Amino acid sequence: MKKILLHLCTAGAVLLASLVTATAADSKLVVAMLPKSKGNAYFISCKVGADKAAKELGIQLLFDGPTDSNAAKQNEIVENWITLGVDVIAVAAENKEGISTALRKAQKAGIKVLTFDADAMTDARSFFVNQATPEGIGQGLMDEAARLTNSEGEFAMIVASLTASNQREWQQHIEARLKEKYPKMKLVAVRPCDDLKDKAQSEATALLSANPKLKLIMAICSPGVPGAAEAVKQAGLTGKVKVMGLGLPNENKRYVHAGVTDSIILWNTGDLGYLAIYAGVALAKDELKQGAKTFKAGSLGTFTIAGDNILLGKPFIFNKANIDQFDF
Amino acid sequence: MKRSFRELSVLGALAAVLVGMAIFAPAFFSPQPLLSLLTREAPTLVVACGMACVIITRQIDISVGSMFSVCSVCAGLLAARGWPLLLVLPASVALGALLGAVNGLLVAGLRLPSIVVTLATMVTLRQGLNLVRQGEFVNLPDRIQWFGLSQMAGQLVLVGASVAFLVALALAMRHVAGGRFVYAVGTDAEAARLAGIRPQRVTFLVFVFIGALTGLAAMMNLAQSPQVQPLSGAGLELKVIAAVVVGGVAISGGRGNLWGAFAGLLLLACVSPALIHLHIEAYWEKAIQGAIILLAVVADGLRTRKLNR
Amino acid sequence: MSVSPGNKNPRDWKAILTRHEMLLLYVLIAEWLFFYFAGTTINRRGAVVGFGTLDRQFDILRHSCEIGLLALALTPVIITAGIDLSIGSLLGLCAILFGKLWHDGGLPISVAAGLTLVLGALAGGLNATLITALRLPPLIVTLGTYSLFRGLAEAITHGAITYTDFPASFLFVGQERWLGLPTQAWIFFGVALGVGLLVHRTTFGRAFRTIGLAPEGARYAGLPVGRRLALVYVLAGLIAAIAAIIYTARLGQAKADAGTGYELFAITAVVLGGTSIFGGTGTVHGTLLGVAAIAVLKNGLACLPVVMRMNAAEEMSGLLTGALLLVALTASVLPKILSRFRARHHAPAP
Repeated sequence: MKKILLHLCTAGAVLLASLVTATAADSKLVVAMLPKSKGNAYFISCKVGADKAAKELGIQLLFDGPTDSNAAKQNEIVENWITLGVDVIAVAAENKEGISTALRKAQKAGIKVLTFDADAMTDARSFFVNQATPEGIGQGLMDEAARLTNSEGEFAMIVASLTASNQREWQQHIEARLKEKYPKMKLVAVRPCDDLKDKAQSEATALLSANPKLKLIMAICSPGVPGAAEAVKQAGLTGKVKVMGLGLPNENKRYVHAGVTDSIILWNTGDLGYLAIYAGVALAKDELKQGAKTFKAGSLGTFTIAGDNILLGKPFIFNKANIDQFDF
Repeated sequence: MKRSFRELSVLGALAAVLVGMAIFAPAFFSPQPLLSLLTREAPTLVVACGMACVIITRQIDISVGSMFSVCSVCAGLLAARGWPLLLVLPASVALGALLGAVNGLLVAGLRLPSIVVTLATMVTLRQGLNLVRQGEFVNLPDRIQWFGLSQMAGQLVLVGASVAFLVALALAMRHVAGGRFVYAVGTDAEAARLAGIRPQRVTFLVFVFIGALTGLAAMMNLAQSPQVQPLSGAGLELKVIAAVVVGGVAISGGRGNLWGAFAGLLLLACVSPALIHLHIEAYWEKAIQGAIILLAVVADGLRTRKLNR
Repeated sequence: MSVSPGNKNPRDWKAILTRHEMLLLYVLIAEWLFFYFAGTTINRRGAVVGFGTLDRQFDILRHSCEIGLLALALTPVIITAGIDLSIGSLLGLCAILFGKLWHDGGLPISVAAGLTLVLGALAGGLNATLITALRLPPLIVTLGTYSLFRGLAEAITHGAITYTDFPASFLFVGQERWLGLPTQAWIFFGVALGVGLLVHRTTFGRAFRTIGLAPEGARYAGLPVGRRLALVYVLAGLIAAIAAIIYTARLGQAKADAGTGYELFAITAVVLGGTSIFGGTGTVHGTLLGVAAIAVLKNGLACLPVVMRMNAAEEMSGLLTGALLLVALTASVLPKILSRFRARHHAPAP
């Protein structure tokens, strides 16, 4: 019987405590931001920009996402936000079709929805803050790879996983560009690294030993680039096998300076987060409407809108000359 | 001969794979890349040794991946603060041992089932690390890489040390009283108790041991790259358990040895490079690994059934 | 009818009220009340939002269905002292097969769903055959099929193909309400009732427990141990297939990564619900309470203003689930340890 009393007492104490906290609701506009995965340095750097925008605009920013590779988690988080009555939801979609189910529901509940980084179905959101079209990314990567190898020879790719939607999309555009423009280049292998730097290093080591004629490794997920670079460096092939891909400047600086990694391509991720928040708030305040041609986002100036895509601008190529100017 | 049938059959499978590779992809055996591949597996081997001991005592530890991450990040942070290697290495091992001791206390002290305890600590440690680090890489000072040696020397040291460790431990399991205690507890804890062994103490120490080895392995991995990703080690538990089991260590305790675990690890570690060398698409990899595990256990099952008849 | 040792005398209220399931129920109620008061707020537009809304309660139910189904599938398995690590992967494989049968095979949804259930049961049959015919440890067999099933799903789709554009009548199962509750909840409750009856009201259930306590003893007692074990694993495969169909309907897509990591959540829920991992004891209502406790915790945390400000809902819920599991386990052995301690101290001197 003692135990039950104990339980009742705890419950009572808990109730009391909760009544105190419940009064502390604030009345700011709430923007919820959903990255593909929370612990990913890429999205952390998006959040830095988003935080800055939230501060400037005086809104509350919620930032939550899956911490594991559980594909349905994004839907559950969006549905939580719907019942939480947030004003805006900004999503980087892991599963294009899957997330759209939840986003349509959010729209129905009167929440403004936009996507950034990776788009959902077009009917499930108002705007897509587009850091670069998949086509642009694919072509940019392939062109840079061709430039580094004089448009000939074998190359291999390291991707995040075999199932991530945007990785597949980029890969398809890379392959299309390859077929169309660079007949003398050959893609010999595509290996997943599960977003693990260590695994990328192992995979790249095996790729190097299996393909002695390899001229370049292209990694299209951010942990993949330093992983591949370390493998090339350890194989003593610095300069002979080029490394390039999509990655963050801070994670790659030392390899770029050592001449292992030639170039990394990326947009300014901080700006992407910043722009997404500004666009979201403008949507909520009805300042941003379908059909607008431009959009002004705080200190970053004016951005072009193409259809329902707010364009961040061209991806940036980081190399030895400019990488030290960036810190993200 | 009969007693080590299981280990020999894994060794046979490994030999078949290697012969196949020699015929179809001889480039696999060029020394420098092969050394690099082995170096990448050295930390896994050390953890696998610990896992073999744990499974022989009829327990299991699925928190090794999370412990590996925690040790990696903590050791990395200490190194980045300027601690000398001679302090970071023992600190990492000690942290691992401490985490292992928590598992050990819960399993041996409270007699809770190890699979559930380590499931809980796995989740807790992983999410705690996520909460604190938010996925940020730790940059290491240059002197940590290869323990300050040249790359070749560093790789040889890592591979040599892990194999030497394996040999020493394998011999110890056979010839030292402590090693035989592990088998005794795994075979029949009650009989072991009556024979004067304290089963709970052995179990506790085995968990401390695998924790310490995980801390050591984290350092061996740290030395191979100038940055640490907090996710490093994710999925390590399944890789190691699969290797140990394919190598013939019985999950029901008391049977199997480290040589088998070694062969099992090499066999599974070969799959991914072999697919790359043979230019097979990556999406077959998981299915092939699963098939190998199943084949190994089916072979085991068929054999015991035949013996029982 | 219940076999819990504390329930021999129906008037022994103390024993009943301190049973594991009851303790879990108190925790669940306390948890729920806490989140109800601390996680419900009024937003800018003056609407009541957060944990206390009916929509949120339905969401919790919808989000728990797949993991709940897998936990139901695991309950009999764990009662027989077995384990099935492959059910999360099997969910993924079944989702893919279902999508492929419908999309590429051109079959009507209902036929495709029926075939998927058969295939799920067959996959469970593979586990069953290896475990019973060859007497292999379930942990290892299902570790192998864990990789194999996921690997097959990836190989079939090359990791890339996503089946989508399912008809609205099918999506109804996962996204709409029927008779006031989310549609899939009815399926979930149906399965729960079925498994509950099987485990608690038939001789099968008694056989499961006997096998879990003493497999050799069960054999000598004339129980068809192999067939009973096979039933448990085939049933697990079947339920995983049901979960796959619900998952596909909820998300509107079938992809090779469906259900990744679900096995761990399901095992956690079952163990939290009081089923012993060593086999022999366990209840279906305990499992349901375990599923609910975890689901309420996860959803509730995401509503707390403090947690929201920290942006740490995901990590906190993982952390607390792990901690809750450890506390529950420790609580479950505490009486035993205390009595052992007392016995040692009150033992007469030799």
